[in-house]
Formats: sequence, C-alpha cells, structure tokens
Amino acid sequence: MNNMSPEVALNRISPELRPLLCSVVRNGRVGLDSTNCLRITDLKTGCTSLTPGPCCDRFKLHIPYAGETLKWDIIFNAQDPELPPDFIFGEDAEFLPEPSELPHLVQWDAEDPECLLQLVKELIQQYHQYQCHRLRESSRLLFEYDSLLEDPDYGRSLEIYAGHKNSWTGEFSARFLLKLPVDFSNIPVYLLKDTALDPGEDVALLFVSFEDAEATQVFPKLYLSPSIEHALGGSSALHIPAFPSGGCLIDYVPQVCQLLTNKVQYVIQGYHKRREYIAAFLSHFGMGVVEYDAEGFTKLTLLLMWKDFCVLVHVDLPLYFPRDQPTLTFQSVYHFTSSGQLYSQVQKSYPYSPRWDGNEMAKRAKPQFSATRQAFCSGLVIK
Amino acid sequence: MAASISGYTFSSVCYHSANSNSDHEGFLLGEVRQEETISISDTQISSAELLQVVEVHNHEPCAQLFSFYNYAGLVNEENLNKILKERRKNVIGWYRFRRNTQQQMSFREQIIHKQLTQLLGVPDLVFLLFSFISTANNSTHALEYVLFRPSRRYNQRVTLSIPNLGNTSQQEYKVSSVPNTSLNYAKVIKEHGAEFFDKDGVMKDIRTIFQVYSALQDKVQAVCGEVEQSERVKEKVQQEVNKLKQQIALRKQKNAEEERRILEAQNPEPLPTPEENTEPPETSLLSLVAFNTPSTPERPGPSANPPAYADLLSLQDNSLLPSSSSPTSAALLPRPQAVGSPGHPSPNPMGLGLGLSVGSSPAPSPSTPYLGNGDGSSSDSLDRQAAGQEDEDEDEDEDSSEYENLVSEVAQLPPVTINVLAQGRPASLSPDGDASARGSQT
Repeated sequence: MNNMSPEVALNRISPELRPLLCSVVRNGRVGLDSTNCLRITDLKTGCTSLTPGPCCDRFKLHIPYAGETLKWDIIFNAQDPELPPDFIFGEDAEFLPEPSELPHLVQWDAEDPECLLQLVKELIQQYHQYQCHRLRESSRLLFEYDSLLEDPDYGRSLEIYAGHKNSWTGEFSARFLLKLPVDFSNIPVYLLKDTALDPGEDVALLFVSFEDAEATQVFPKLYLSPSIEHALGGSSALHIPAFPSGGCLIDYVPQVCQLLTNKVQYVIQGYHKRREYIAAFLSHFGMGVVEYDAEGFTKLTLLLMWKDFCVLVHVDLPLYFPRDQPTLTFQSVYHFTSSGQLYSQVQKSYPYSPRWDGNEMAKRAKPQFSATRQAFCSGLVIK
Repeated sequence: MAASISGYTFSSVCYHSANSNSDHEGFLLGEVRQEETISISDTQISSAELLQVVEVHNHEPCAQLFSFYNYAGLVNEENLNKILKERRKNVIGWYRFRRNTQQQMSFREQIIHKQLTQLLGVPDLVFLLFSFISTANNSTHALEYVLFRPSRRYNQRVTLSIPNLGNTSQQEYKVSSVPNTSLNYAKVIKEHGAEFFDKDGVMKDIRTIFQVYSALQDKVQAVCGEVEQSERVKEKVQQEVNKLKQQIALRKQKNAEEERRILEAQNPEPLPTPEENTEPPETSLLSLVAFNTPSTPERPGPSANPPAYADLLSLQDNSLLPSSSSPTSAALLPRPQAVGSPGHPSPNPMGLGLGLSVGSSPAPSPSTPYLGNGDGSSSDSLDRQAAGQEDEDEDEDEDSSEYENLVSEVAQLPPVTINVLAQGRPASLSPDGDASARGSQT
C-alpha cells in the first residue's frame, strides 16, 4: 500500500477528484527538496461500502520538509467534489493556520487542477512560519535563524523544523535545511547526462541538525542531487568540514558554499583544460590521431610510427586534470601477451607540470614519446 | 467532566450518520449541570469535588455540509439560527461524522469550534467525533466515537457513557436522569395517566400492592402474638410437669428408703423370696415403664422402690387398673418412649397409635422446657400416657433388649402378678400396691 505507484493511487481516486491529485502526484514539487516528490498513501473512502468504486476521497499526503516527512490527512467528499478539503496535520496538533492566509482555500475552485497543489504550498508556508515561531523556545537557535534570515543568499531558501524530540522530556531540537546558492549551470553537460538518476533541478542542500537548544551538538550533512554528485566525482570526493564548536551557521554555511563552489569550478576548469589539451595534441599530431573523446575529452589515442614500426599511444586524462597527470599507455600492434591481449606498457611518471598549457604539453610530449617508444620497442624485440 | 448520552439519541445520531453517503454533522442539545460531592474521611476534613456533567438529550442534524459556514470556515450566524431556531439555548455541543479518518479534530473543525464557542456563549462546548473504520475487505466496520473538550489544553477527551449499554453484568435497567422531552409522550401520558396514577401521581397498582402488603404484615403480627401466647402456656405447663416430675422422684426416693427400713425391720436376713424376687423385676418393670421418659436422663435402679404412680393415674384413665386387665395388662402400661431413653437412641420412629413422628435425638437436657419434636406434636411420654392405650403389638418391634426383657418378664409374671394383685384390694396400679398387698399378707 505504501509503495503504491502514483498511477495506481490515482486510479482508485474518485473520478471527480482525479485532476486535482494528478497535478499533486505528477508535478508536485513542494519545498526545497525537490528530489522527493509528493506521495499519497492510505486511500480511503467516505462513502458507504455499498458505493461502487473507485470512490476514494481521503488520503495521506507525504511532504518532505526540512529533512522530515510531514504526513497530512486530506479529506474530501466524493459526493460533493466541489467542496474544498479538510486537513488533519498529523502530529502537529497545534498547527492551526489562519484561513485568511490561504487564498486558494478561501477561493477554492474545484475546476482548477492546480488548486490543491497551490493550497498545499500555502499551507507549507504557514507551517514554516509556525516552526520558526517555535524556535523562540531557544534563544540560541533563534539567533541562528535570524542571522541567516538577514542574509539574502540563504534567508529565502530555508526550511526549519523545530520541536521536542520526545513530547514530554526530550531536548529541544531543530533542523535547518538550506539551499546553497551554488551555480551548477556551467558544469559540462556530459557529466550530467545521466538523466535517469535525476530528471529535476540540480540542487545542493545543507542539512544541519541541532540536537540541543544550546547548539553544542551540531551535525551537518550535505545533500546533492545525484547528477551533481556524479559530476563531482561521487560522494567520497566531497567532504565538508565539521561544524566548529561555538561557531554559528552564518559563518559555517558560506564556508561550505565556497568549498562546493571551488569544487565545481575545478571540475569546470578541468573540462576546459582537457579540451585544450586534446586540441593541442590534435594540432601537433594531426595525422597520427586515431580517435579521441569529443564529449568529455578524457581520452586520446595516437598511432606513432618509427622506422615502419607502429605503436599505439593511449592518453587518459583524469577528472582533476591538470592537477593529476595524464596516463600514457603504449600498445603494440604486433604482439600479444600470453593472455591474448595486445602487449602494452603504462607510463605514469614522466616530466610533467600542471602549469603548462596544452600547447606546451603537446610540444614536450613528442620527445617523451620518442624516448619511451625506443624503450618499448627494445622491450618488444627482446620478447 | 463526565458526559452521558441517552441510548436513543446515540442510536439516532448513528442512524443519520450511517445512512449518509458523505460526512455528516449536526448539533447536540442537552444540559450541563454541576455535581458537588462532599466526602468526609477520618484523615481529612470534608473535601468537596465539583463535577461537571454534560447530558445529551437530543440532536439536530444538518441537512448538508457547509450549511452554516463557508469555505474559509467562517460561521454564518444567520444560517446557524435557521438551523437551530428556538433550540439554540439548548446547544451544548456539536458533532461530526466522517468515515475512515483519524480520531483527531481537523483543521476546519477547530476553527468552527472556536467560533461556535463564542457565538453560542457556551465556554465548554463539546465536540463529538464519530468515525466508521472499515477493514480493507469491508468485513468489519467499527463505529468509534470520541467526545472532545477543545477549550482545555490538556485532558481534552471526555468519557461518554451510554446508560444501559455495554455492562451486561448489571441486571436491572438503569433509568437515566435524562428527561423525555418528547411532546407526544407527554400528551399520551397526560391523557391516559388517570387510569394508572392516582391524584398524588403515584401508580394505583403500587398503592393496591402496598395495601396487600400491609394486610399481610398485620396478619403476621397477629399470628406472632398467638404464637407467643401459646408458647407461654406451653412454658407454664412444662414447668408444672417438671415440678411434678421432681416431686415424683423425691417421693420415690422416700418410699424406697421406707421400704428398705421396713424390710430390714421385718426380715433380719435379707433373703429374697421367689415372690420378692419377682417384685424387684416387677417393680423394676413398672419403674422402668413408668419413668423411662425422655426428660429423665437417669432412671431409678431395679432395686429402687417404685414411686407413687397414683399421682400420675389421678390424671389418667381408670381403665388401666390391673384388676380389669389381662395378664398382659402390664403391657398396657404406658409404654416407654424409645426417644430419649438414655443410651438408646431410637432406631426408628415408632408408629404409635397417636401417629407421632419422633426424632432420633438422644436424651435432651432436662432443663429444656419444650419437649416436642418440632412438628408441634407432643412426644412426651407422659402426654402419651395421658392420651390413651398404646398398641401392644408394637412391643415386639422394639430392638431394645430392655424391652425384650420387659416383655419376657411380663410373660413370666402372670401367675404371681395376678395373685398378688388379686389378693389385695383393688389398688391403684402402682408398685405400692404390691407392697401393701404384701403387707396385708403378713
């Protein structure tokens, strides 16, 4: 029941209410965490059991918010589909939004398929304000919030979840979810091409959990959309610094932002550098180029000849080129190893400097190839 | 706070709700009263407890949803009055029915409730939430209801009790204090009431029954008086009997002593003659026969002189005189009663001529004035003796060896006895007669 696909859920909904829910289920993006879309579960009906289906008109809506998932009950009446729904806000029994702040409720239009989605967004806004209000229980955390609010970069994309872990005796805790203002638009498309992972917006979210009201136990976490994570080299490549004790968010968040930005810049730069490198090699070794990666510029294969002796040279450019040195692989076209592979020799260390530009690297590659080729051939002859 | 709803109101609300094909709502009418309980205990001075009791008498269902509020949940007072009309002052709460939802007040319900509390001027307005929870395959439907008191921050839920529903251990039908507000009911009762109720408003049948009860009580009282009187008479008679018994015993003793002296004076060698030999058995027979009563735990020994039987016989029939009796006349002597003979509990109740049923109790203590056997008949041997002859045939039925002896002794007696008795003057049938007869011989 909980893993019901959206289409199955929609089929069970009363036909008059279906359009409203379509937009929620298919296009519903509420809040900062747009990777998790809205989900509906626990479909029930308010009609008698004799009513022929489909007639479900009440369900639970799962809304991701500040690292938590809100489970709100939405109650329609299938017999009166033109009427606006009612809500039960789960465990937040004290959350009571002001109806006048919900224009889509006051002027509910059942003909507008987006009406329910808009109403939910308005409710989330009210919920956010309610949570911020709850921060007043802790002056320290309230300070954190206020300081972030003042900064235009972070204040607008902030979700707060505050409360007691345990209703009676638990510590007051709060969760901050911030959208980091990092520009991912210049990341080369080839890195993001795996759309199956994430068809949506590229976003980096910083989740900070304050386990106590005095901010002595703070646990930050960085969430990236899957394509960004892949583009930056996987989750292992990115480590954010621990939250400094006694520090505050307004200092820490920019640090993380900078780190992320640097990383992105590096990746972008690397791409351009590789492109430059390949271009230079193409111009220097023109006729000798067998193939090269024209999208990511990560690979280049050359065919070199010396006295009627041909050698293939594969150049592999790493992700963090030019920081990391390219790998050269010399491969024979005549000889096989015992395992049936073409005989090859890898060379990782050779004179190299990341400060050279592409042209310079191509120029210095020639004598390097000659020297290596001689040694390679000699080695082959011996074999 | 406690709350109760009458069974018919509850079922009516359920009926309306179950039959609606969507959510349903309405108002609860009734009254709120304060109950003060003062408890006094040893440990503390009296403490008073105030309990607010909400009673739901009736309900007013709304024909459709949003009938008195708009999409924003704003209550329209005009529409509210149209629904409630003159019953507005009786509103103590409102209810809502929604299927398959949580037992929690929803967003709109909370908003409406706040407004109703203010508009109706009921600070503790209650909210009754019904919900039908059905299982996935519709095999089980549970009707759940919760009464909320949203004006309080804590303890918002109030227990709602429905009298006569649920507790099957209670046998009698509890009448609730909820008055029947139906006009039809009042009219009918007024019209037909005179047939059942008298001018004071009490049911006539009750009065009649009470009269019967009073009459019975009077009779019982009278009977009690009679019983008391008869008991007193009986007590007196018993006392006389006991006195007489004592006198008899005393006289017997005196006579025995006298006889002994006479014998000693007459016969220096105390050799028993055959005649005399028979006497002790005879006397013993008589003494045994006469004095083997349940009231005397001890009987005089075989050598004791027989007591003055004349006293007894003066009360009795003269037909028992020995002169007119057959050899078995001794057998006609009042037969001893099996019951109460010391050491011999009666083996079976004796079917005596009087048809007495005798209990098999051993000798009762002599102090008890009442000698009956419990069924009102007298089992006293003296009384039986006074009543008349015993059935001689029943002699043989006795298991007692003593009686066998008596019978055999009686059988042996005839010639001697007759002789002795015949010679003398027609004496009273007493052992004394023998002595006097003997005395006349010598």
